[in-house]
Amino acid sequence: MLSWNLIMYPSIHKSVRAASIISLAVLFSLVSSKAFALPEDIHKSPMWQYNIERYLGKDADVVHTDQVSLKVPDFAEDSAQVPLTIALDRFEGDIRSIVSWVDLNPVPHLFSYQPHQRAPLTLALNFRVQQATTVRAAIQDENDVWHIASAHVDAAGGGCTAPSVTASNPHWSDQLGNSQGRYFSRPASNRLKLSIMHPMDSGMVENVPIFHINEIQIHAVNNDKKMDEESLLGEMSLSESASENPLFVFDFAGDDLNQYALRLRDTQGNVFKRILGDT
Amino acid sequence: MITFPLIQIRLHWLFAVLTATSFFLFHSLVNASPQYDLVPVQIADNVWVVEGKRENFSRDNGGNIVNSAFIATEEGVVVIDTGPSWQYGKALHDIIRETTGKDINRVLITHHHPDHTFGNQAFDVEKLYALPGTISRLKADGDAFADNMYRMVGHWMKGTEVIVPPNQISPGKLTLGKHEFELFAMTGHSGADLVVMDHTSGVLFASDMVFFNRALTTPHTPGLRQWQQELEELNTMPFSLLVPGHGPVSQDASPILQTSAYLDWLDTLLQESAEQGLTPSEIMSATIPDQFNDIAEVRYELVRTISHLYPEYEKSALQTLANDL
Repeated sequence: MLSWNLIMYPSIHKSVRAASIISLAVLFSLVSSKAFALPEDIHKSPMWQYNIERYLGKDADVVHTDQVSLKVPDFAEDSAQVPLTIALDRFEGDIRSIVSWVDLNPVPHLFSYQPHQRAPLTLALNFRVQQATTVRAAIQDENDVWHIASAHVDAAGGGCTAPSVTASNPHWSDQLGNSQGRYFSRPASNRLKLSIMHPMDSGMVENVPIFHINEIQIHAVNNDKKMDEESLLGEMSLSESASENPLFVFDFAGDDLNQYALRLRDTQGNVFKRILGDT
Repeated sequence: MITFPLIQIRLHWLFAVLTATSFFLFHSLVNASPQYDLVPVQIADNVWVVEGKRENFSRDNGGNIVNSAFIATEEGVVVIDTGPSWQYGKALHDIIRETTGKDINRVLITHHHPDHTFGNQAFDVEKLYALPGTISRLKADGDAFADNMYRMVGHWMKGTEVIVPPNQISPGKLTLGKHEFELFAMTGHSGADLVVMDHTSGVLFASDMVFFNRALTTPHTPGLRQWQQELEELNTMPFSLLVPGHGPVSQDASPILQTSAYLDWLDTLLQESAEQGLTPSEIMSATIPDQFNDIAEVRYELVRTISHLYPEYEKSALQTLANDL
């Protein structure tokens, strides 16, 4: 028996070891094949893989999608103000988060959006381009799969390092935070439009430190004006690629909502709270 | 002992010949400035037009998308606009001399856009005239225009510099010999637009106040409605031929009517879209009415116009919000 054991155990040991090596190898190949499974970029951007790893993670499960339409012009008439609209109304999954970036900008990240009580149907804002580039919007579904919509914008460039228009106005600080907005009741959604005076300095212009709106919360306040976790529809964090004097658009479904509050905060801690909707 | 230096000499010669040849080849490649094929078309007694292509700036057309014109008077030639580059200006200067055999009396620059004024270098600077508003705008925007032109049309621009006309011109009558002109200062297209009515020939040089079968451009318009109102004034002028800034010469007012109808459509589109809360990217794909389908570059210019003008329309459809802290 002993001798059997002595003979058998090492062999069991060996087979276990072999099995574990094989399973490790399989696992490893799965992991690495996952990395290799990154679909090819139709726009052939040199930053495709790098920015995905940077913003979505190294092992991100990525697919191209045509359920999200990313609307940008083919060319930037003004490199400091390129309009972007992301339409999510045809997206079939649940939206866990949204990340948008501009591949060849010095700071590519444009915004991240975290839905809370309700996912948005449309997001729109203007961004800057430093050169001709691809723009991305990645939507994470309930299975952690990232659905990426892409578009290419041709440009003369320089939008990130151009001095702000605001800077040439000596009274800009009196106008900081001045806002115009409107609530549009549309057939399939409620639309919020908010325009706010802010230099949105990228920090890339000599002697002008970084100063931009970096956090936005959207609340459904429905007359009680209480802003808490329950009223929070979603949160957006913005980076340097967002344009000066921004105009934000958010669409939400639902007839039950008729009043919204937007809370914006900039990198120096200024807070701007604006009410939109029926009053 | 004797052959060695000979070989050396031959090698030297070979080297020299090779260097010279390659230098010559390289030099001719780099220096091969493309040539504009400018064809002056006589449209009336003593009046010629050089029509540009109905396209956007490109490396194929060298920016030759603009109409230039010249009128021979007893006191010399009046030139209207100098084209997109020094090279174009030189070609224009040559055909003016060939066609008229006369000296140039003056060059009128209709507005500050690069395709109308970047050929200035080829003309005597003392003979360049423009409206005061054109002079100040060219001073402010000229260098940025030049950057953009070099990017879009490349080597055709070689050596082109911004030359600001030193002479101001004011609206009113201008008589040269027996030739009678009347100048009008308008604003709709660029903020300072010179329109030239040649009463002697009956030709109206409408500059970029009028586009025909080529979509109009809006980067510096003070307003689409203002532009449209000035077109009504243009339409009362006693012309027998109309030369638009871009597009073919016309015997009737159809270029004015087309420009006006297009402005009307643009203004309505932008206003209604703003009222519905649309984003700029949502209207860039707007349906273009059938009547404008034959206008060249219409989609491209619509996208540009939305970039230039929609933010203002959008803001005027919003309400001022209280700072609710």
